[in-house]
Amino acid sequence: MPSVGTTIPHDSAVGHVTGQAYYLDDVPSIAGELHVGFLPSPIACGALTGIDAAAARAIPGVVAVYTVADVPAHNMFGPLAADEPLLADGRLLYVGQPVAIVAAETREALHRGIAAVKLAYAEEPPLLSLEESIDQQRFLGVERRIARGGEIEAELAKAPHRLSGTFHIGGQEQFYLESQAAIAYPGEEGQMVVHSSTQNPTEIQTVVAEMLGVGFHDVVCVTKRMGGGFGGKETQAAIPAMMAALVARKTGRAARVIFDKDTDMCSTGKRHPYLVRWAVGFERDGRIHALKYEFFSNGGCSLDLSPSIMERTLLHADNAYYIPHADFRGRICFTNLPSNTAFRGFGGPQAMAATENIIESIAQHLALDAYDVRRANVYGVADRNVTPYGQIVEKNHLPEIFEQLAASSQYHARRAEIARRNASDPLTLRGLALTGMKFGISFTSKFLNQGNALVNLYTDGTVQVSTGGTEMGQGLNTKIRQMVADEFGLDPSRVRLMPTSTEKNNNTSPTAASASTDLNGAAAVQACQQIKRRLKKFAADRLSDKAEGLTPSPRHVVFAENVVYDRRRPEVRIAFGPLCDEARRERVDLGARGFFATPGIDFNRETGRGTPFFYYTQGAAAVEVAIDRFTGELTVARADLLIDIGRSINPGVDRGQIIGGFIQGMGWVTAEALEYNAQGALLSHSPTTYKIPAVTDVPIDFRLALFDNNDNVQNIRRSKAVGEPPLMLGIAAWTAVKNALSYANAEAATFLSLPATGEEILRCLSFQVPKHPGSPKTASHT
Amino acid sequence: MRDHLLLFINGQRHEVSGRATFVSLSDYLRLHCGLIGTKIVCSEGDCGACTTLVGRPDFARGEFHYVPIDSCIQFLFQLDGTHVVTVEGLRRDGTLNSVQQAMVDCHGSQCGFCTPGFVMAMTGLLEEQETVDENELRTGLTGNLCRCTGYTPILEAGMKSNDAEHERLNELYPAAPLLAEFETLRNEPLALAAEWFGESHVAACPTTLAGALEFLAQHPTATIVAGATDIGVRINKSGRIPPAILDLNRIAELDHVGVGNEEITVGARATWTDILIAIANAPRVASRGKDHRLRPILSDLAEVNGHEVPEQAAPRRHRQDGLGEFARVIATFGARQIRNVGTIAGNIVNASPIADSLPFLYVMDAFIVIAGKDDMRVININDFYHGYKQTDLKPGELVMGVRIPRPKHDDLLRLYKVSRRRDLDISGFTAAVRMQLEGDAITQASIAFGAVGPTVLRAKQTERFLVGEPLTLETMQTAGDIAVSEVTPIDDVRGSAEYRRQLTRNVLLKFYHQTQGHLAPA
Ligand SMILES: Cc1cc2nc3c(=O)[nH]c(=O)nc-3n(C[C@H](O)[C@H](O)[C@H](O)COP(=O)(O)OP(=O)(O)OC[C@H]3O[C@@H](n4cnc5c(N)ncnc54)[C@H](O)[C@@H]3O)c2cc1C
Ligand code: FES
Ligand code: FES
Repeated sequence: MPSVGTTIPHDSAVGHVTGQAYYLDDVPSIAGELHVGFLPSPIACGALTGIDAAAARAIPGVVAVYTVADVPAHNMFGPLAADEPLLADGRLLYVGQPVAIVAAETREALHRGIAAVKLAYAEEPPLLSLEESIDQQRFLGVERRIARGGEIEAELAKAPHRLSGTFHIGGQEQFYLESQAAIAYPGEEGQMVVHSSTQNPTEIQTVVAEMLGVGFHDVVCVTKRMGGGFGGKETQAAIPAMMAALVARKTGRAARVIFDKDTDMCSTGKRHPYLVRWAVGFERDGRIHALKYEFFSNGGCSLDLSPSIMERTLLHADNAYYIPHADFRGRICFTNLPSNTAFRGFGGPQAMAATENIIESIAQHLALDAYDVRRANVYGVADRNVTPYGQIVEKNHLPEIFEQLAASSQYHARRAEIARRNASDPLTLRGLALTGMKFGISFTSKFLNQGNALVNLYTDGTVQVSTGGTEMGQGLNTKIRQMVADEFGLDPSRVRLMPTSTEKNNNTSPTAASASTDLNGAAAVQACQQIKRRLKKFAADRLSDKAEGLTPSPRHVVFAENVVYDRRRPEVRIAFGPLCDEARRERVDLGARGFFATPGIDFNRETGRGTPFFYYTQGAAAVEVAIDRFTGELTVARADLLIDIGRSINPGVDRGQIIGGFIQGMGWVTAEALEYNAQGALLSHSPTTYKIPAVTDVPIDFRLALFDNNDNVQNIRRSKAVGEPPLMLGIAAWTAVKNALSYANAEAATFLSLPATGEEILRCLSFQVPKHPGSPKTASHT
Repeated sequence: MRDHLLLFINGQRHEVSGRATFVSLSDYLRLHCGLIGTKIVCSEGDCGACTTLVGRPDFARGEFHYVPIDSCIQFLFQLDGTHVVTVEGLRRDGTLNSVQQAMVDCHGSQCGFCTPGFVMAMTGLLEEQETVDENELRTGLTGNLCRCTGYTPILEAGMKSNDAEHERLNELYPAAPLLAEFETLRNEPLALAAEWFGESHVAACPTTLAGALEFLAQHPTATIVAGATDIGVRINKSGRIPPAILDLNRIAELDHVGVGNEEITVGARATWTDILIAIANAPRVASRGKDHRLRPILSDLAEVNGHEVPEQAAPRRHRQDGLGEFARVIATFGARQIRNVGTIAGNIVNASPIADSLPFLYVMDAFIVIAGKDDMRVININDFYHGYKQTDLKPGELVMGVRIPRPKHDDLLRLYKVSRRRDLDISGFTAAVRMQLEGDAITQASIAFGAVGPTVLRAKQTERFLVGEPLTLETMQTAGDIAVSEVTPIDDVRGSAEYRRQLTRNVLLKFYHQTQGHLAPA
């Protein structure tokens, strides 16, 4: 029985439930190992004029204090441009920025040491808001643009109806439970092994080597697993890894960096807040004629991945809808905040939320049901199916998905019921929205769409697999385990996924863009096929029988149910283990390295045109909310999700990705608010003040269905990527709030920003002048 | 006096003295015992990754009563005479318990970092009752955050764990030998001491009130520790342990909770869980160590907690009187792990203007019972606070308990807690509105607001205006205007001043709408 398509447990599930699965801080310390931390900048902007570490060095147990002067080679790093300092070099750029590294024998000495380092600086007014940054034209990188059709102002003018506005979208903390962490072990002749909680071991290898001034071949990065990543460990695992490596190099001792949650949240980047200026022209039936967007993302203090994230924004501003005349522009704003970074969806969510907001606004303006407006605009199957960047939406199932979900969720009947109840219920206001989702799969940087894998068979017939993909809970290792098991016809328990290491897999792409199963799974299968070719040849000889007239025939050799046989004589079987043993004795190579590069994708950044995506994952969500009219408190009462993920490799894993992604998206649009004070310090820096959804926030009535689809033939096992797309189904919770507010009064819904927190909802209900989200607060009374 | 403490961890005996008696339980487990299954995320009680089960002796029944707590904000000096069970100790033969197996089968883990905490919290639920339903799971797991799964698979695992035989910890770890040893040490006070970085630390764990007051007389500025849910966060975030600690955990005299016809009396050591149980069992009097049946109250609360917009559904099954209102607030107080250790006395003395119990205590004119070495006194809570985080307690005094007049059956009483997230969240705004009517005229009004100033505020002018007025929407609108002029909120991380003013006005309007049904002739 093939394993692919069946629900087997996560490959570490038993380790998880027994507490034996280890994360970096669970690794036993070795003799002499040091605890490493850093002194964060107390200010958001200014000149660093002095660091006095004498008192810190005098504390018993403090081994060393390092500043930028101690960095062996390169202090500057970054995935797209080396524009971010490991340690402050003259300038202080954000509150929480590492200024000095402290290494100590104990955690207590470390904390006392950090507290004892004294800084001298000249404070300057920080740049914190998108508005200020736009006013001062403090942009990072160049403007990006995707456009098609006629001159946009002229096209807008042609439309019978027009709306425009400014939409504020808040950021989001990844809130992986395991904070950033790294342990560095110094080796011989300047070599370094870094264990890192990272989605991107190759990046860690690279930045550590460059920081130390050694060749890449002298650094190994190993990642066993992460306690969550969500994009937050794609680039930003770099600083702790470099800190550990720096200390290990300087002291010759192992060095451990474990951020606590507050430090992690204060000093690392998040999902980009956006300011979106939009103008739309549309027909009487709600059909969009022309759409103009200016996206401004809050990049923080350096580029990090912001340009790629903005690119994905522009590529998802259409969401599920055909836009005949489009002009989408994007700029990244510098601010004195930690550099914002990847987070599940990678710029897609902001664009899609902006467009769903516009659709709701169109519906409210025309007094139409928003569903009808969506149906009028959704990508067509035979026509109206070309994206603004020129890619055809092939095998488009969106119209069917919309209709199926509207029927199964009883959308129309419930809307009528909600209208009726809203007219009479003095306490509660309800709303319902059904939004679509289309998410492009592939890295938009073409070169990243590759993967390699190492497959080793042992003489007992068990298999070890190593790929460049990292496991952060998403079930990548489990899916690859299933694919490899199927290749050799083995029980999955005979296949073990090994820690990711740059020693085994070189020049890997980050585990990101939802593509890690597609890329690494395909590479692993490709390696298996190489080994199988050799094994088949060997087995064909072994299974042949001259006397019976059975000539050796590799193509008749079958691997199934832990045995190998010739299809022409299935009753003669060799167990897989002994076959491997024999093959080795006959000097057959039982290991292979596989490689995969996604075919057929190309995108030209300059022209904004091409085929950036291998395929699209599509879906829709219908969400009902209930709002307390007096306090603004929100309950997501019911959610119906329908999503097309092709043929699922592991329905249990995929279901977990969908539900988890949806709830994460719901958190972003309803509750998770990043609050800063006027000096640029994050106030919501721990779960006490930053509220991710809890178990009671999960809708009581929660229905999930998979759209039956077997046509994604180009991808591995006809599956579709599932990592990021479900997050954007959560947007329906926000549009449902917007719908609910529209019943309260005509204007209440107009100024709703994202997230729709209780405070934001009450502001709209009480109909006050909009306040910019993220306007400064003071610390709290507790 | 003993200079060390004795506890068992997964059946193993640990005698601890010196420095280690001052560390958090999670540090002790991870760093001293190598039990790394207990995870740390926040060190502030807000994620549940560090959940462990603490068994307290029930000598009468001859067993331990196991409850989940957050080990990051529980300190070793609080744990003398307990049996701590961690995820490593759920089974001794390498197999999985019913919860663990269900979590594997239902894909209840993704990254796995939250998983041991959930396993412990769910095992804790099954320690208290044979089976759990979905609402009980939801209300029972609000103390555990998961960023990966969206919780649904975990809830499914919880339901599935009902199907298998669940071996109870009292069966896995026979209590008798442990209890026998604890019995002999039960009344022995502890005097713990250690020195590090040139600073000396002492902790006293007396077993009598007299012993506690004696220690306080000698160390008038000692830090008093009850559940440590406030103190523990402060210690972890500052990295500093106070020089002198008075731990109240072993003083049985302070455990009492009584719900009488006139008055609710609560000892300083009674936890929020104890209070909930007592209310659920009212008018019977319950006390700790006697009746642990959480089930009735849990299922009532589930109804309030789990779904719809709280408080607005048609008549609920749970208590409709003022006690029920109080229970409703307690039900969303922190989470189970917090309620299992946190106390009302700690909530009062911590003196936060956003403490959830205070508006209720204010409008009920509750009395705080205070003891010093030589005398005892009683003070109305409305007079207890002098300013932000300033109380009437003098050095050498401690709070013995609280006496709360029981809401009358014809009191119109509504309590409000507005927070960003319904469960496990600190309030952004709180209020209590209590009225008596004759016909439709208001004869008595007590109104308190929290998070609108340095202390909880009694809205005196609003109250004065209301007396004599009919309870109409118009009256409440005017009352709202007056109330807004009385409050002085600030902008902070939990909400803007404007939001709080709006809420001040709105809860009075909400009160009107909510109580309409009660006024209508039957
Ligand atoms: C995760 C989390 C969630 C929380 N949620 C809520 C919530 O929803 N609502 C809310 O109001 N609070 C909440 N709190 C705060 C806290 O749990 C409560 O204030 C609790 O009631 C404190 O009780 P305790 O026994 O733990 O106090 P401790 O931390 O032991 O003590 C608190 C303060 O009171 C003093 N003290 C304690 N007992 C006495 C005594 N008998 N005499 C004199 N002084 C004494 C202590 O010295 C200290 O200053 C939360 C805390 C956490 C960590
Ligand atoms: S670590 Fe978060 S509650 Fe203890
Ligand atoms: S499984 Fe990752 S946080 Fe719960």
